[in-house]
Amino acid sequence: MDYLHQIAQQRALTRRDFLRSAAVAGAGRRLFGFAPLQALAPAAGQKTVVVTFGGGARDEETFAPEGQENIPHLLNELIPQATFFTQVVNRGILGHYVATASLATGIYERFDNFADVSPKNPTVFEYFRKGLKRPANDAWVIAPSNGFNRIGQSDGSLISTGYGARVILPKRMLASALGKGAAQSAGLEAILQDNYENLLYTPPAINTDANLALLTDLLHLSVDDFAHHAKTLSSADELSVFVMRQLMKQFAPSLLWITLHDMDVAHTGAYSLYIDGIRRTDRLCADIWAMIESDPEYKDRTTMLILPDFGRDSDFTPGGNGFQHHRTGDPLSRTTWMMALGPHIRHNVTVDRPLDSLDLVPTLGALMNFQTPLAQGKLISEVL
Amino acid sequence: MEPRDLKPESFLQYPPGAQKFAAANLDVLRAMPLTLLPLVLRQLVRYDWSFPAEQQQLKSQFDWLKQRDSTTLTAVMALFSAIPLSSELRRGDWLNHPQRFSELMTAEFWSTNRIDAYHAAAQKYQQDLDRAFDPAVPAVPRLTIVVVGKNTQSDRTVLFRKLMPHGTLFTHVDSAEGLEEISKTVKARAQEQSQKYAHWYIDGGELYEGLKSSDGVTATSYGKLVPAAMREFALMKQLTRNQTVGVEAVTSYVAGLSPDDLGLRGTDADATLRYFETSLLTEGAGCQIFSTTFVQWAARECLRRAQPLTLLARYGTRQELASMEQLLSRDPRQQAQDAEGSLVDADMGAYYTWIYQSRLSGADKSSFLAWSEESNMAIAIAPSIPRGKTSAGVCSMKQLLEWIR
Repeated sequence: MDYLHQIAQQRALTRRDFLRSAAVAGAGRRLFGFAPLQALAPAAGQKTVVVTFGGGARDEETFAPEGQENIPHLLNELIPQATFFTQVVNRGILGHYVATASLATGIYERFDNFADVSPKNPTVFEYFRKGLKRPANDAWVIAPSNGFNRIGQSDGSLISTGYGARVILPKRMLASALGKGAAQSAGLEAILQDNYENLLYTPPAINTDANLALLTDLLHLSVDDFAHHAKTLSSADELSVFVMRQLMKQFAPSLLWITLHDMDVAHTGAYSLYIDGIRRTDRLCADIWAMIESDPEYKDRTTMLILPDFGRDSDFTPGGNGFQHHRTGDPLSRTTWMMALGPHIRHNVTVDRPLDSLDLVPTLGALMNFQTPLAQGKLISEVL
Repeated sequence: MEPRDLKPESFLQYPPGAQKFAAANLDVLRAMPLTLLPLVLRQLVRYDWSFPAEQQQLKSQFDWLKQRDSTTLTAVMALFSAIPLSSELRRGDWLNHPQRFSELMTAEFWSTNRIDAYHAAAQKYQQDLDRAFDPAVPAVPRLTIVVVGKNTQSDRTVLFRKLMPHGTLFTHVDSAEGLEEISKTVKARAQEQSQKYAHWYIDGGELYEGLKSSDGVTATSYGKLVPAAMREFALMKQLTRNQTVGVEAVTSYVAGLSPDDLGLRGTDADATLRYFETSLLTEGAGCQIFSTTFVQWAARECLRRAQPLTLLARYGTRQELASMEQLLSRDPRQQAQDAEGSLVDADMGAYYTWIYQSRLSGADKSSFLAWSEESNMAIAIAPSIPRGKTSAGVCSMKQLLEWIR
């Protein structure tokens, strides 16, 4: 067993202990072993929602005893209904765009995290749409705007073009709306917050008119309504979830991928803001599941997978500065977890065997019945 | 050019002290693989503005390496030698721009999946050096004091939870004269041990009057460096205004900024401090916009580089979060402050400062105190102090400082 796996295994066992110590352990009597399958078999027309955190969170602030106060919704509401994987190892580049692209292609992409490029390898969205002959509006990505605008579709060198997901960048959409004079930007600064990792990073130019057309024609929101609603929200991730709700209402896409990003404010070094981001993400995950459960198009036919793209540096790695960054590549920054919920997913189950981040794409293919021929990784049998 | 081609005149662009050092250690430099050499040159290129502790560390490292036979030397550097570099990168100017070269090299290692091998090589090299020679034992046990909670009265934040297992929590500290007593202790230690850069005071706001200009105490503050940080942002904006500049290019540009570029001027006598302050702003993230990040980062870098005998780090409040555009353009001292968030930041910062002090030589004899200046709480960690205990008895700051001596 290599060093990374040893550390990942230790972390997994610790995470299991953390869970055992949590109040949630009392809520579910079958938390620590496979329960008889009580769930339904996957229904026809199954939908999948993938929630990734584009800003890793560490155990210290989440599943460790001192961190559990930050994730009451994950612990008390979602885990009792979920199969929880205690170790997911990311062996790729620890930058949010490239890591999320790797999650979406099932191959560790190797491009510059800050470059305006598409993934080299076919994305799960292309496999899905091409394999099942699905229309464009059946696969969507909601992403932070820091470079994610090309995540929906590969560069076309390995799969024919035209099968990508539609990518929506809520912050850019809001910026476009504000740019049209629909509302004053006062009070929206926190929502328009973009990249935390590089102060002067300039996102690639996005066509403003196209953003507004998306807003009005597809989401059926007026520019003013959108801007006014944004003022009731407190963060960029809340805006993303609001847009997700609109998408579900308008198109009920079968494959919906949302990347939450608020917690990456950790790069500023302000621990309190990082904790605020985790708490918000915890609440939004529960909100998303509630949206799924209350929507007839989604209820009882949707699998939701939640996973951070990777972790953050340990307090004790000399080359790092603790929670602030994810630059050292230490084993803890590469080791994270995944939660699966859905009608055919076993409740209150903890799985300790190591997963690789690349396992996601082939598993989505098996879940939804399409081929993912170039994706690496193995099937996650516990969610099939 | 390859490392084996190095000559004394290769270092003409280096400052005088660094040139001399390179000439005296040329054989070792020539023996280093290109995956290691830029990391060493990064230290060497700023040798003249390094702290005494850094210069001594570099000298000890090279003295040890010089005494090895070629077989041992090859073995020590074997893991670095085994990592290939692209021919394009090998042609880069690693000699005169080691920082830029290191960034490109790291990027290549990430993209070629060699970063883990690189980290492993660095760790082994450091372990070999650590085993080879004992770091200098400090003249007196180190003392670090972190003061949190200025202008913050809060009972919502539970303080010092992460530090509690390592020391005793005092819940009824008579805080009157607390800062004065701490200042007296810092000044007294500076008088007793007068080595340069051995006693530090870092403040997240303006410097405390009682320590502002004390002999033997090196002081810096967020208040002092805000204009330099704003100058840094202005220069970055200027760079990116009319052209698309990649992240690496911006990073390299910022890394090349000098104290003069940032408007930090002084005399030769304080050049080391000015270069240190410049490095805080050009190498740190978030320390320009948030005073709490500044104190944490400055304390970390001070401990890592200057290895002080005494450090006082005092947190203030930081500005509220805003859009990055606003954060980069406005004066953080003139904005609404997030007092509660600042206390949480400072509490974590105190924990990190203790961790960083624990990495230095003589850690088993060092003392650490964190105190919330507007409440009655303090945590003391020292060989003489029980671990994991809480004391509800009333005590003064003077007593606390005596107990941890």
